[in-house]
Amino acid sequence: MPELIVNVEEVTKNYQRGAQVVKVLRALDCRIAAGDFVALIGPSGSGKSTLLNLIAGLDRPTAGRVEVAGSLISGMDEASVTRWRTRHVGFIFQFYHLIPVLSAYENVELPLLLFRMTRARRREQVLRALELVGLLHRMTHRPGQLSGGEQQRVGIARALITDPELVVADEPTGDLDHQTSEEILDLLQAVHESLGKTILLVTHDPAAARRAERVMRMDMGQLIPESKAAVLLWSEAR
Amino acid sequence: MFKFAALIFKNLGRNKVRTTLTVLTIVALVAIYSFVCTVTDVAKTMMTAHSGDTRLLVQEKWSLPSLFPVRHVPKIAAVDGVVDWTAWNAYAGVVGEDTPIIAGLATRLDNFRAMHSGLEDLDPAILEAWEKERTGALVGQQIAQQIGRKVGQTFTVTSATHPGKNLEFKIIGILPSGIWQLTFFFRRDYYEEATGDRELVNAMWLKVRDAETGKRVAATVSEMFEHSPTQVKVETESAGIARFSGHVQTIVNIITFVANVLLVNMIIAQANSISITVRERRKEMAILKVLGFQPGMILALIVLEAMLVGSISGVAGAALAYATSELNASGALGGTVTILAQFPVPAAFIVRGFFVGAAVGFAASAIPAWNVRKVEVAEVFVRL
Repeated sequence: MPELIVNVEEVTKNYQRGAQVVKVLRALDCRIAAGDFVALIGPSGSGKSTLLNLIAGLDRPTAGRVEVAGSLISGMDEASVTRWRTRHVGFIFQFYHLIPVLSAYENVELPLLLFRMTRARRREQVLRALELVGLLHRMTHRPGQLSGGEQQRVGIARALITDPELVVADEPTGDLDHQTSEEILDLLQAVHESLGKTILLVTHDPAAARRAERVMRMDMGQLIPESKAAVLLWSEAR
Repeated sequence: MFKFAALIFKNLGRNKVRTTLTVLTIVALVAIYSFVCTVTDVAKTMMTAHSGDTRLLVQEKWSLPSLFPVRHVPKIAAVDGVVDWTAWNAYAGVVGEDTPIIAGLATRLDNFRAMHSGLEDLDPAILEAWEKERTGALVGQQIAQQIGRKVGQTFTVTSATHPGKNLEFKIIGILPSGIWQLTFFFRRDYYEEATGDRELVNAMWLKVRDAETGKRVAATVSEMFEHSPTQVKVETESAGIARFSGHVQTIVNIITFVANVLLVNMIIAQANSISITVRERRKEMAILKVLGFQPGMILALIVLEAMLVGSISGVAGAALAYATSELNASGALGGTVTILAQFPVPAAFIVRGFFVGAAVGFAASAIPAWNVRKVEVAEVFVRL
């Protein structure tokens, strides 16, 4: 049996909205094996982001277990899960979320500042990451001087810099044109294949979902595993 | 934290206009604060003169100005417990037509340093020059600027206190900054010879071993003149200062209050700037949390950024105050600001400015930083 990177068991997540309790996830189970490239799709409000936040340790479940990269993160305090997250999870955001006053180099380097590491070693790793995403020649540029695609490449480099087991990409092509989206998806695929990273891709885009090896569909707080063919049918029906 | 220096420094350039305005505000306030604190520091030093109880001031009790016969001086100086003494004769007048009245004190040369507070470290070379020059005068900086003279130059005083007895003086030294700015000292023998006044003195200073001896000497001197036509009063230097203090304490309190208000203004100015900055960067703080920055670290980054702005501004403000004070002293400002000359800002204030600015930065950023560290990552990433 392949090693599990993500093991979510009977997870429920509720939010309090005034007097009302909103049930976002309902006794959800989710398993992702090491080295998987999984797409998580579903309509707005289905709970995709909530599940992503739980897996990434950004939120706590109301009930259930969340185990990621061998750690039971649902039982950790905030400081511990923050430390854990630095080492084990890399994030790629829809809107890149780079620090605007830092250069591409400095943005990629940022997570490494939390480690005890010499400057030379940090530099070595940052340059390697920027080379992987094809942005060595733009490393001194600030985000404002980069295109959307370039900024997302920096985001990918930053997500990979700490060599995490799991890379979470939340709508990474949501703010990009078609051609640039394809380039980013190519890069993600390359990262998966060459580095063996486990990738969880949250997306509305069927084209992006097609790149994954496995697709999970969420609807009304429940996870529905679905084949690729079903994804195509779904997208055509839309 | 040095590896985070790039992040801290670069954040200062995020909104250059805002940072510049914040810096300029703090620079201006710290400069004013430096001037104000100099006044209060000098006043407090004067009011707590450490040698106060070992110097006694003897004056005539009833006349204003105090005047008593010089023949009493040796008797008073001979009182058991008196280790040294000097006498003052006041001489005042104008130099030229457009200068204010300047006041001089004729005094003994041989024990000048020992008997005058704040002048104990006067350059011995100046005293040597004074010994050789009978008309020599040690002039306060303020007076030198008022009459437009330098060391080596002469000035003639048209006397207001001794009509017809206009004396010429040669400047042999400038008194250090401090309480003697508006005074000049000259030799007693020159005074007596030039004015012919060998009969009276305005005041006597007695030096005693300790406070207890001072009390005894004061009692003895008072008793000596109890039934004499000349009535004297004897008080310690600190008692005299205390009398002076009593008059100025309220003013010092008000000035201290103003200084504290300035500090509060600085904190408010910077807190306003930081609050705006933190609000704008709320999402960024969430990103840092996602990347693994602990809440305490995010708080520290904000506080350090504020302290950096504060300390740089504080140094600049204090340096501005010091430079202005020095330029004023040198006459380079094209005129003299009296209060700056009397209360010169010392160079040490630049260090104080650093700490004041850093403390202001800390105080200003504490609450905004504390609030932003609690930013919830999940609620920040709102999907459009």
